[in-house]
Amino acid sequence: MTDHSIGCTSRFATALAGLLVAGLLQAQALQPQPQPPAASDAAGAVPVPVSAAAEGIYAATRPSLLQIRTLVEAAGRQSSIGSGFLVSADGLAITNYHVVSQYALEPKTYRLEFARPDGTQGALTLLAIDIANDVAVVKLEGSDLPHLQFDPAAVAGDLPRGERVYAMGNPLDLGFTIVEGTYNGLVERSYNERVHFTGAINPGMSGGPAVTSGDKVVGINVAKRLDGELVSFLVPARHAAALLARARKDAPLDLAQARDEIDRQLLAWQAGFYQALDEKGFRATKFGPYQAPESASSWFNCWARTNAEQTPKPRAQMDSSSCNSQSSLFIAEDIDSGRAELTHAYVRSTDLNAFQFAAFLSQYYGSPTMARSWSRKRQTEPVCHEDFVAPMDAATAPVLRAVWCARAYRDFAGLYDIAVTTVTQDRDKEALVSRLAMQGVSYDNALALAKRFMGAVAWTK
Amino acid sequence: MDEVMWVEVLSRQHDVTLRQRFANHDLITIGRAYDNDIVLDDAHVAAHHLRLTRDADGRWTAEDLGSINGLYLDGDRKRREHVVLDGSTTLHVGNTFLRLRTATHDVPAELPLVRSFPRWPIALICIALVFALALLDLWRAETAEPKLIRYLTPVLVLAAVIAVWTFVWSVLSRILSGHARFGTHLLIIGAGLLLYTAYDEFSELGSFALSWTALSRYVFVGAWLAFAAVCFAHLRALGASHLAIKAVAALALAALGITVQSLKLSEWRANYGQASTLQRLEPPSIRIAGAQSQAAFFTNIADLKGALDKARSEEPSGDAAADGSED
Repeated sequence: MTDHSIGCTSRFATALAGLLVAGLLQAQALQPQPQPPAASDAAGAVPVPVSAAAEGIYAATRPSLLQIRTLVEAAGRQSSIGSGFLVSADGLAITNYHVVSQYALEPKTYRLEFARPDGTQGALTLLAIDIANDVAVVKLEGSDLPHLQFDPAAVAGDLPRGERVYAMGNPLDLGFTIVEGTYNGLVERSYNERVHFTGAINPGMSGGPAVTSGDKVVGINVAKRLDGELVSFLVPARHAAALLARARKDAPLDLAQARDEIDRQLLAWQAGFYQALDEKGFRATKFGPYQAPESASSWFNCWARTNAEQTPKPRAQMDSSSCNSQSSLFIAEDIDSGRAELTHAYVRSTDLNAFQFAAFLSQYYGSPTMARSWSRKRQTEPVCHEDFVAPMDAATAPVLRAVWCARAYRDFAGLYDIAVTTVTQDRDKEALVSRLAMQGVSYDNALALAKRFMGAVAWTK
Repeated sequence: MDEVMWVEVLSRQHDVTLRQRFANHDLITIGRAYDNDIVLDDAHVAAHHLRLTRDADGRWTAEDLGSINGLYLDGDRKRREHVVLDGSTTLHVGNTFLRLRTATHDVPAELPLVRSFPRWPIALICIALVFALALLDLWRAETAEPKLIRYLTPVLVLAAVIAVWTFVWSVLSRILSGHARFGTHLLIIGAGLLLYTAYDEFSELGSFALSWTALSRYVFVGAWLAFAAVCFAHLRALGASHLAIKAVAALALAALGITVQSLKLSEWRANYGQASTLQRLEPPSIRIAGAQSQAAFFTNIADLKGALDKARSEEPSGDAAADGSED
């Protein structure tokens, strides 16, 4: 990434990447070769000694667990693994969307298979998916199957923090495991509802249930932060319950139309997200002689950066604030969506002349790396438009140099990655560089937000 | 009758390599053997190859004496037994060209000697300006601590390139035309570099000031054209012949360079998904272009949607496996 400071800050980027690889990528990487003993010991260790309660829960819950494997059709070997759990006697089961995403997107290349703790195996059909909440409903053939119930308090959303919760699943293909941890309520800075679970969730446990001491499901294991210890996340049970109800009522997902369904869900999600963002409004934050909009919502994680303490002393000082919505949606290994990023960098020359200062600013301008990876299979090449833009009111705001770059998702009509960067053009040795980047957004929502964003860059009153 | 004749033997490049005078001759024999009037050191010429005879009217005729490789007119593929010669006929035997000229043959008028001005002082001024512009450009982009080495290295490299380039052309010039013309070649590269550097600076400043990104995006087209023009000027300095061929060669070089670079650029864009935007901002005070209204700007960007939706339905170009690098 060339725009090292005002893009997504590196600190946050690492954390976010962690969220995504948990479950799928690492599991995949780990499967083909046998585990070295040391790693295997570490991964298998349970952080908290298993209590007698846990023993009972494990015994009661275990028969309802599933390991869910995605197999390459041609080779008949697993390409990724996850977990799941039965929720009805006739074989309906819940897992994560990201556990079955390969199959959902490429049903000709992959197939789904389950393995139960008693050793029985068989084929799975995919009935419904919920991209925004990373949940999927699958079905296996059978009757009178053991199954789990959702916890009514968790579905209603009033489970107390500190409640003991047990996450179950098959980490790293080592066998079904129970992990004791703590329920910590919903993550505060997140648009997508996620339960903060303090406990060790490892790749392969994705899609497994987290249950109370009463064997009731409160959430579904989904991710963990790589930059923290035991900071893991669950999908709240109510989203799984809602999808389950939908799967019972509606016709099963037509795999040939899976991409259209994902497209529809992503469009609906972004419509909700950007409307909510709009409703929450923006507040003007002061940057030197300028003010710029920052979201008033609580869904952004903001980091400030400065180059003031660098050696040798920088010849222009840069102070930036970068806010990143923690709302990344997993679509496939090589593409995600849903993130929004708002960055402002106030730069002033200490020692540079006007030309040198402009050259210094250039590193924050240009074609922005909107998402950290670009896949030409998934996205079109970006197209850009740039120009000087006059303010609405020349008395209150400066002329801006603005560049707008957009690329379309190939598989999902109506969705784009869009970034707009502006540089104030009123002073020779001082400038505010602002960037708004939106991932998986509709063109109209992006235009509307960009309009609001550009209109709010002004001089302080 | 006192008639003087000259037989001229020409090299392949039609330079006279031997000029021999004959007075009151009616017969001149030409071949490789030593009993000829003119002895040719050419393995493809017969021992007795040609006989030139003068008839009663004073006309000279060349006659093939039964050689294997025969007698031709210069620039003609038809084998001849006899050729009637006038002052301008050039014969072709083996790998040798021959010409017969009478004493009355017209020669072009004397060319006035042009005292050409010395080229090198202008060349040095040009090169000094090139260095000045290059240093100015480096200084303009200097955002870190200024270090002498960052200025010294490019200057030394540029100086070395100019020296080697001029030396090579001078050596070629010396071989092909007999004169090194160091000053001329130095002036050509100096003036060429100066024009290019000025054009490059103008494109960079202009693409910002005029808000016309294409100016800097396609700066390589101008660079290749300048390079071709410089090559053509060097070739012309080697000799004024075949100017059309030289011009075509120079243009072909430019076309090849532009094509290859365009392909590489589009391939790079396809591989890394990077759009080309303005590379370098300049101080706001040099802006000439007016600012668009926000409404106009948003109309323009709304129009991009059509192109994106069209690209969406097209298959990804090239090798789909070569995806963009991860961060």
